Amino acid sequence: MKFSYNEQALKNLKIDDPSILDPLVDAASAREAHLKKDHARRDKRMSLKEAVGEFVKDGDILSDTGFSYVRTPEQAFFEIVRQGKKDLQIIGSPNSNQTYFIAKGVCRYSHCSYAGVEMRGTDRALSRFVKEGRTRILSEWSHGSMALGFKAAQLGVAGLFSRSLLGSDIVTHNPFVKVMQNPIAGDGQPVVFVPALYPDVAIVHVHAADKYGNGRFFGPAVNDIAIAAAARKLIVTAEEIVPEADMRYNNKGVAVPFIYADAVVELPYGGVPGSMPGCYYWSRQWWEKLCRDAMMSEEKIQEFIDYWIITSKDQYEFLDKLGGVKWMIEARRQTKCEEYDNEDDGFDYSYHEWTKANPSDTYY
Amino acid sequence: MSKQKPMNPLEMVAYILARQIHDHEVVYIGTGLPMVAAILAKKTHAPNITLVYESGAQDPMPGGMPWSVGGPFTWRKSPMILEMAYSFGQCANGYVDRGFLGFAQIDRYGNINTHLIGGGYHDYKHRLTGSGGNNDLSSLCERMVLVGIQSPDKFVKKLDFTTSVGHLEGGDSRKKAGLVGQGPVAVVSNAAVYDFEPATKMMRIKSLHPGISKELCQMASGFEFLVPDGEIPQTEMPSPEVLDMLRNEVDPRGVFTKMPGM
Repeated sequence: MKFSYNEQALKNLKIDDPSILDPLVDAASAREAHLKKDHARRDKRMSLKEAVGEFVKDGDILSDTGFSYVRTPEQAFFEIVRQGKKDLQIIGSPNSNQTYFIAKGVCRYSHCSYAGVEMRGTDRALSRFVKEGRTRILSEWSHGSMALGFKAAQLGVAGLFSRSLLGSDIVTHNPFVKVMQNPIAGDGQPVVFVPALYPDVAIVHVHAADKYGNGRFFGPAVNDIAIAAAARKLIVTAEEIVPEADMRYNNKGVAVPFIYADAVVELPYGGVPGSMPGCYYWSRQWWEKLCRDAMMSEEKIQEFIDYWIITSKDQYEFLDKLGGVKWMIEARRQTKCEEYDNEDDGFDYSYHEWTKANPSDTYY
Repeated sequence: MSKQKPMNPLEMVAYILARQIHDHEVVYIGTGLPMVAAILAKKTHAPNITLVYESGAQDPMPGGMPWSVGGPFTWRKSPMILEMAYSFGQCANGYVDRGFLGFAQIDRYGNINTHLIGGGYHDYKHRLTGSGGNNDLSSLCERMVLVGIQSPDKFVKKLDFTTSVGHLEGGDSRKKAGLVGQGPVAVVSNAAVYDFEPATKMMRIKSLHPGISKELCQMASGFEFLVPDGEIPQTEMPSPEVLDMLRNEVDPRGVFTKMPGM
């Protein structure tokens, strides 16, 4: 065995062949992949179809990015589902988007930290999928411990020593982490070794990118700066493509250097139905309907995904289903008021929350 | 007296939770009732608190109720927004005074389960959200305040899965395990407020909500509470003005404080 995993966790998770875990922690192969990339400053623009087709391969470890549905590349994820990729492992903190991948047989393995739509509800579909064996949980995480794994990869260190997880059942359900003694604490002090984590492929959605792949965003960075550095392959999707000079003169918020990027995709509204700071608010009812209705049965989740993902060719068709131009303008106003870039004195923040008793036909 | 609608249990819990927040503190806020409590506290007795959220958002200027801990109200004109790893690092390094979290199950030592309910790891009844930042806050914050609805299947002798460690097995076991901070200092339910007895670190009734007797409170738990010497005080309830503020200014859409079906 190449890696010496946490034996108790392997047993608890019933993982007989741990080689499936190797790529996530294989720093040498990640380095090799980064070395083999074209390091030249080249125009890397391509369509979403081409980028997903070329850089997301069956069996890859895909990283969820953004924060569940904040600056998350939802439309690129939907393209992965449409292209019918197979056997992906999905990792992320949070990891809220795995359900629609699993439902369509795209994701077979999960490195799980959090699933659900916060107070709108837990992911009932995931609960069934895990039990039915349609996805296997390969490791349990907390957000903070996984964040350290990505950060370690970005820093180029073998791992970091966390003070989270100690004493919990997570540490006995995660093959990658081990409780050790802090080597310089005289009286012994337990810490948790979290290895550097290297996803195969990540998609980071940004406000602006240049054609080489320098990317700029604002709002919560979550883990994206670290993930962009760690991933073996990186697709940058951007609300707009700007001239290189714009990146140099407006370099505040540039979080992705072009050298990481394999593909650059111009993808306005690439975050819908999630939110994009400064650009558009969530379709809250979409998420509420997903977790309060669609996740409740196999028939409903399939119908929901078919309607929203499979039969939407691209984000434009998706936007038409949400409500088109009116939706786009309202979503922009909503986020600008909440961010206080627009005057919100007198702005009505209320909306029709989707509940079973009181369903809604709109998607604000 | 005005014709105010009677308070529902979620509104009551939000108010009591808000009273656990001290002015000038840095507080780490989980999703749900903690968000309501923090915003109510900021509008009432604790205007100078600084709010921190795990998405990296922190120190927003006052605004409405966030739909998500990554939403714009959590970073509304923030001077600075962090990455997730740095955000939790602030907890570990002693910059966060108090964290606020919900739970699906809790035991007498303030350990928490948000992973699964019923059966074992593979043959559970329901799989829940998993940890999210729950474990990290419990592990790293100086003091934790925990909030949830009380019933014998939520206040349990043994958790179905230990997502987050509070006082572990009591005594000094938390510290011995390597965790930092004081651990849980308060639990707020719809029946009572609890603290933890200093030596054993077992949950102890601190105050009972109006209409709740010690016996009734105990019946709604799967483990036995410690009780303080002497009479148990009654939990302070919000004034009509504060209740109005909660309804009209803090959570006007009832996102977190509307009872299902009401």
